[in-house]
Amino acid sequence: MNYPVWELALGGGPLIAIVSILHVVISHFAVGGGLWLVLTEVRANRRDDSELRDFVRSQARFFMLLTLVLGAITGVGIWFTIALVSPQAVSALIHGYLWGWAMEWVFFVVEIAAALVYYYGWSKLDRRTHETVGWIYFVAAFASLVIINGIITFMLTPGRWLESHAFWDGFFNPTYWPSLVLRTFAGFAAAGVFTLLTASTLARGAFRSRVTRYCAGWVFVSTLLVGAAALWYRAAFPAWGELSGGAVPILPGMATAFASGLAAMAVLALWPLLLPRTWNALGVVLLAAAVVGSFGAGEWVREAGRKPFTIRGYLYSTGVRVDQDAQLAADGVMAHTRWLNREVGHDRAAIGHELYRAHCQVCHTMDGYNGLRPSLAHWSEATIADLLPRLGSMRALMPPWHGDEYENACLTEYLLAEGRQGETAWPANRQTAGRLAWNLSCGLCHTVDGYRPLRGTLAGQSREELDELLDSAGELTPEMPPYTGGPRQREALLSHLVRIAGPVGTAATAAAAGAVRSTP
Amino acid sequence: MSETGLVPAPDVLPLPAPVPLLHALLLLTFFVHVLFMNGLLGGILLASWSRLRSRSPADAHALLAGQLTRLLPVLVAGTVTAGVAPLLFLQALYGQFFFTSSVIMAWPWFLVIPLVILAYYGTYVQSYAGARSGRGRTTLLCATAAIFAVVAFLYVNNTTLMLRPDRWGALYFAAPGGTNLNLGDATVWPRWLHMVLGAVAVAGLLVAWLGHIRSRSDAAQGALVRRHGLTAFTWLTTANILAGLWFFVALRRPVRMLMMGDSGHATGVFMLGILLAVAALGLAAGAKLRGGRGSLTVLTVVAGILLLAMILLRDVVRAAYLGDLYQPARFPLQTQVFNLALFAVLLAGGLLTVIWMLRRLRRAWTTAGSSG
Repeated sequence: MNYPVWELALGGGPLIAIVSILHVVISHFAVGGGLWLVLTEVRANRRDDSELRDFVRSQARFFMLLTLVLGAITGVGIWFTIALVSPQAVSALIHGYLWGWAMEWVFFVVEIAAALVYYYGWSKLDRRTHETVGWIYFVAAFASLVIINGIITFMLTPGRWLESHAFWDGFFNPTYWPSLVLRTFAGFAAAGVFTLLTASTLARGAFRSRVTRYCAGWVFVSTLLVGAAALWYRAAFPAWGELSGGAVPILPGMATAFASGLAAMAVLALWPLLLPRTWNALGVVLLAAAVVGSFGAGEWVREAGRKPFTIRGYLYSTGVRVDQDAQLAADGVMAHTRWLNREVGHDRAAIGHELYRAHCQVCHTMDGYNGLRPSLAHWSEATIADLLPRLGSMRALMPPWHGDEYENACLTEYLLAEGRQGETAWPANRQTAGRLAWNLSCGLCHTVDGYRPLRGTLAGQSREELDELLDSAGELTPEMPPYTGGPRQREALLSHLVRIAGPVGTAATAAAAGAVRSTP
Repeated sequence: MSETGLVPAPDVLPLPAPVPLLHALLLLTFFVHVLFMNGLLGGILLASWSRLRSRSPADAHALLAGQLTRLLPVLVAGTVTAGVAPLLFLQALYGQFFFTSSVIMAWPWFLVIPLVILAYYGTYVQSYAGARSGRGRTTLLCATAAIFAVVAFLYVNNTTLMLRPDRWGALYFAAPGGTNLNLGDATVWPRWLHMVLGAVAVAGLLVAWLGHIRSRSDAAQGALVRRHGLTAFTWLTTANILAGLWFFVALRRPVRMLMMGDSGHATGVFMLGILLAVAALGLAAGAKLRGGRGSLTVLTVVAGILLLAMILLRDVVRAAYLGDLYQPARFPLQTQVFNLALFAVLLAGGLLTVIWMLRRLRRAWTTAGSSG
């Protein structure tokens, strides 16, 4: 609203995901790997184990090439990317946490310098000094996590900051400690995985088996601890019950992917732990896939759980502050949108396009990520017009939309025109058609059994009663729009609702009708 | 839409420190960043030039290229690390302008990240290759140098576009997909050239120091390398005076006039810059004739002050271009005294730790060198 929006065909979310998944895996390795290096070096020195020392040295080179280049630059890359996709959010984070970033930078400087001295000082520095440099690296890398964790969790659960705007109130927020513990163990697990990767390149023999088992121990134990920390994190996660019930459609799947990835890591780690001699490239590939999958899904859960905010309770993902809601509702959206091309004149569809770009495009594309066209193609003008004022009540946790009558008409005209370019063919398969009809209407706000469930309220109703219910949908609550689907869609939806409702008469229909009236 | 209308409103959250303090930190950390960046960009360009001129793997050009390329990964690390802080302070102070220009040229700006990753790995390949050369490695070195020069060009585009809200609307609404550059601005090319030539000149000084250090073990070759470095410094600084003149005439007239007497501060810094450039040329000629550490030290100090003067002048240009659109006095302010103090303590402790590690490494390398 304050800043221009990058019209990105790929969608801002996927671009951030690509950069951040890469960074998250490597940056956790940068923390855990630091501890692995120094602890293993100390172990090798105490036992005067030259083979192990040589392995640590080769690992240090791999570590430096991966973390200093790809890890550090993708870290800056996330900063670049989120500033391009959500400049208002980055501005807020920099104003509120400038000294946090500055402190993190100090640790970053020490971390980089220590990594370079550790690598270039190998066999030049005396062993004690070299170990000290290793410890300095780990402390700086961990301190960097300690700070960045405060800012990341602040975005999800700002806690008392929302009232006080005080730095430390937001920093030590409700998810700070569980997230810190989770990320610390994730770092240790990543260290084990990456060292298993390099261990697999060693010549087969007793040493390779010994190192493989040692690294597998890191992965196995750390992964179990990550799992325990994840349960703690989940308990502190805001509105987890609603979210896991499908309030944000993608979240339950991502949470399952995270848990499955962790389980796969633990199970796969048993292989090199119990049968180190048979550990091979296939195992490395599977383990790496499990790490990337679980870490990526975990970050996605955090991001999705923050919807529709970039800073929960303070700033919507559209760049509108929560405290601007009333102002926008009173004045309309255009009065407060700086980056609208006023030269489009009075062409309503063109104005709608401008509004779409300024307010919808941060999260949506037409045909790709969070694509709108597949739905728009089946919606009538009345459906779009009815949905726009109710966006804030929808299941996907959208920010409220405060367009006035004229702005809504413009946006509707634009969306309708975009929809006409989409695929309008109706599925021949009855079940597919039913699911599509559900997704285009009831499914926008309800699930069958999870978030705002409908099964209970529909149970036992006959087709005729359900038909009547659709007729009266717009009169149930202010949040419910009237049902405006065409005859084909209505027919498919009724068939789908009948399947959900089950045998007629299994629930008190009057009570069910009453319940649906009270469902937002 | 007028240019004033497109400039985003400043953030409603207060700045956590007074503007002059943040401004000073911006300029100071930017100076450190520029030192590393000059060593990197100028160093890789000189290394490429030396590699191209080398006729045998053992000649002075090949040795110089080898010496420079071994330094490159550390210089990239220094440039990136020292670049984070000024980018942070820039976004705190000038976010209204910088975030906007970044979005307008989103794709080229985003491209900086993959380009730096590629070039960074390119420097490691060169570093591990050492003095070994070959057509493939020379091509790779030149390509890596070209990537860094492109990254510099993208930075110049963004730092000039942020000063031109009058150009924003036309660029953005014509290509909201972020495929713009700021090529319509007459200052872009001369500013980039001025900066690149300056970087190579500073890297020439770095080469002179490398020659000085080498002369302890090989007097003749060390003197040759030192002379190469000083020659590069002299030629590039001379060329840069011309590039600076081009940049000067490309500036808007009112901005130019600030340096021609309309502003005492701007005129003073501008004159100081010219005087220091001329003095540096004289000192470089002297250092070529005399040899020894002293003349090189004086030249380095003068060049450092010259660089600082150029950074101050750059700041003058920024303020002049933005004019009344930038109103820092109106920014909400709530100084976080404790956090500021904590940062200062951590910074001091961090720097001491880095110095301690570097001294230990230097001592170890010296011992290893003398025993080996």
